[in-house]
Amino acid sequence: MRKIPVLVAGGLVAAIALTGCSSATPASSGPVKLSMWTGFTGGDRPAYEALISDFNASHKNIQVTMDVQPWDTIAQKLPAAWATGQGPDLATPNFDPNVISKYLETNSLLPLEATGNGATDINLDKLAPSAIKAFTAKGKLYAVPANIATLQLYYNKKTFAAASITDAPKTVTEFQEDAKKLTSGGNYGLALADHETIQMWPVLQWLDGADIVDTKGCAVIDSAKSVSSLTTWANLVTKDKVAPVGKTGAEADSLFSAGKAAMEINGPWAAAGFKSAGVDFGVAAIPAGVNGTVTLASTVPLAIGKSTKHPKEAQEFLAWYTGKSAQTKFALASGFPPVRTDLGADAQLSGNAIVSSFAAALPTARLYLPGVTGATQVDSEVYVPFIGQITRGEDVAKAATEAAKKIDAITGCRG
Amino acid sequence: MTSTEVTPAARASRSRGRGDGFRLLGIRLQPAWFFIAPSVLIILVFIVYPITQSLWYSLFNWQIGATNQEWVGVGNYVKLFHDELFWNALRVTATFAVVSVASQLVVGYLLATALAEDTWINRVTRSIFFFPTIVALTTIGLVWRFLLDPDIGLVGGILHTIGAEPIDFLQNTSLALPSVIFVSVWKNLGFTMVLLLAGLKAVPAYLYEAARIDGANARQLTWHVTIPTIRPTILFTTLILTINSLQVFDLVYVMTGGGPLFSTDTLVTQLFREGFQNFHIGYASAIAWVLFALIMIIAAFQLRLFRYNDVD
Repeated sequence: MRKIPVLVAGGLVAAIALTGCSSATPASSGPVKLSMWTGFTGGDRPAYEALISDFNASHKNIQVTMDVQPWDTIAQKLPAAWATGQGPDLATPNFDPNVISKYLETNSLLPLEATGNGATDINLDKLAPSAIKAFTAKGKLYAVPANIATLQLYYNKKTFAAASITDAPKTVTEFQEDAKKLTSGGNYGLALADHETIQMWPVLQWLDGADIVDTKGCAVIDSAKSVSSLTTWANLVTKDKVAPVGKTGAEADSLFSAGKAAMEINGPWAAAGFKSAGVDFGVAAIPAGVNGTVTLASTVPLAIGKSTKHPKEAQEFLAWYTGKSAQTKFALASGFPPVRTDLGADAQLSGNAIVSSFAAALPTARLYLPGVTGATQVDSEVYVPFIGQITRGEDVAKAATEAAKKIDAITGCRG
Repeated sequence: MTSTEVTPAARASRSRGRGDGFRLLGIRLQPAWFFIAPSVLIILVFIVYPITQSLWYSLFNWQIGATNQEWVGVGNYVKLFHDELFWNALRVTATFAVVSVASQLVVGYLLATALAEDTWINRVTRSIFFFPTIVALTTIGLVWRFLLDPDIGLVGGILHTIGAEPIDFLQNTSLALPSVIFVSVWKNLGFTMVLLLAGLKAVPAYLYEAARIDGANARQLTWHVTIPTIRPTILFTTLILTINSLQVFDLVYVMTGGGPLFSTDTLVTQLFREGFQNFHIGYASAIAWVLFALIMIIAAFQLRLFRYNDVD
């Protein structure tokens, strides 16, 4: 009889354990369901949601569900999910396009083969070349741009008028002079973020013909040209106080929104926030540097997990997403330039001041550390601290020499 | 043979029935085992297995999902030893733990003493101090980050109003860590106060009476009656606070992200960066194991101290 409680207890535990097990869901004959993880939590989120809604309405056989999560959450969950054959069908793994190489190391991405010139193909030749180059490895395309953006110069018209400056700066010299002139009474001429943001400092270096690494991934941040450029800008921050020190992207935006900074280098996503803050602003091209105009482009990859059960439908979605009508609508809703290069003549887009301004910069825009080994680490452990050092008064040449050594150690450059 | 004699069969039966279980392969199974089995299973799957697995990872240049993992042995630990960012993170973590734990204990004790009496004003004041404890750390971090912003924050605004220069609390490499520690202490003070208050309430009144009869003054009552009596509470609080402080992540991540210039970079923020931004899982696992060992050593030391003092 004593065995009975033991057996009852065992049976109870087994029953509880088995309750969690369910039989396989029977196959459904309904539409193909695609899941997509994205990190679009900002003001541009409604534009993406509208796209998904349009796609679902026009494709009764494919239904896409977008799960918006913080980028950090995606960074923690997606690598393991995709590498182990789980996770969503589609995802934007990170806002850093260089992340694609990390997922390729674990063989997690589906090569995109539904390319061509047709309306239902991914029109490779019509998509932003810099993005396509960043997402191609060994001749295979692994992602399409979910968006592409350039950085332009936002300026506060009211502050400019108060300082008797009639127009946005056209040259680097004007840019620097205006920044000094606009700095007074606790207000800054320029809001320069140096971390937790799309990098702005590389643009300042590029304007003077300097760079961080060369085409082989070897550091050139310590070159004479680079040190000279960075010294000028560091002095503007440390001595002339034209920009605050140690600001995140969001904090720099807040300064511009609050009218405490007269200029900011930023992307199209910031426009809506500035408008709602009541700032009377203009958007101008980044002033021309020694080699003409240049700015930074940022693009978010949209990829398909290798283990998806619906590769055909997922690629059909990407073809639609990067198509003309979807991109026109998306650009108008978000202010981002379209990811296609053949929409320049579109009357709706050229009539939109924000979209046309950011789209105009695309031909001369450059990605940040494209194809550089360990780009994320170079950014977080070398470049961001380096900018932090020189804007806090450290000797630029000395800090650049140290930074160059660290960059080469990460990229594996042998000189 | 009398009626009280027990037959060998009955003796065997009684022996088999001793306790509440039955034997299977020579092991006595009891019903309680089945009831704790789910909990044990969960602990094994979600705690023990990942911990031991991370030790295994730390011996490789581990890439998630890769078919062949590169064996590096103790290479990750050797690399850690030569990594200046690791030593910086260790220093920051130790500073954070020592200063925040000591501050919380001292201020928490003073508060608990001041608010020990059960009046309505004391109850309200205790609740006010305890309130930050129930708010999510991330929320606290975001609010303080905004408050301390030198350009658009409340503190900067007040300083500006009285004619002083705003202070860049979180952008200055010398002030960032003290600022984060201050917020941590402010956030957890209520928790420490409540624990110590419970300890204070348990001190028998006759001890104070006896000490007063012997002529003890207020300082002597504190040093020779209160503190020795609540020592177990103090040591328990110290242990919990120390472990939490060594694992600090949320607050630092939200307020400074480990910056500026790594001045608030703790072991866990470094671990997060290596594991989830740089995808160096093996290296991140090595950091986790060093932290684990550190916590174990400190906890063992504190428990040893506790036991010694009790015997003493």
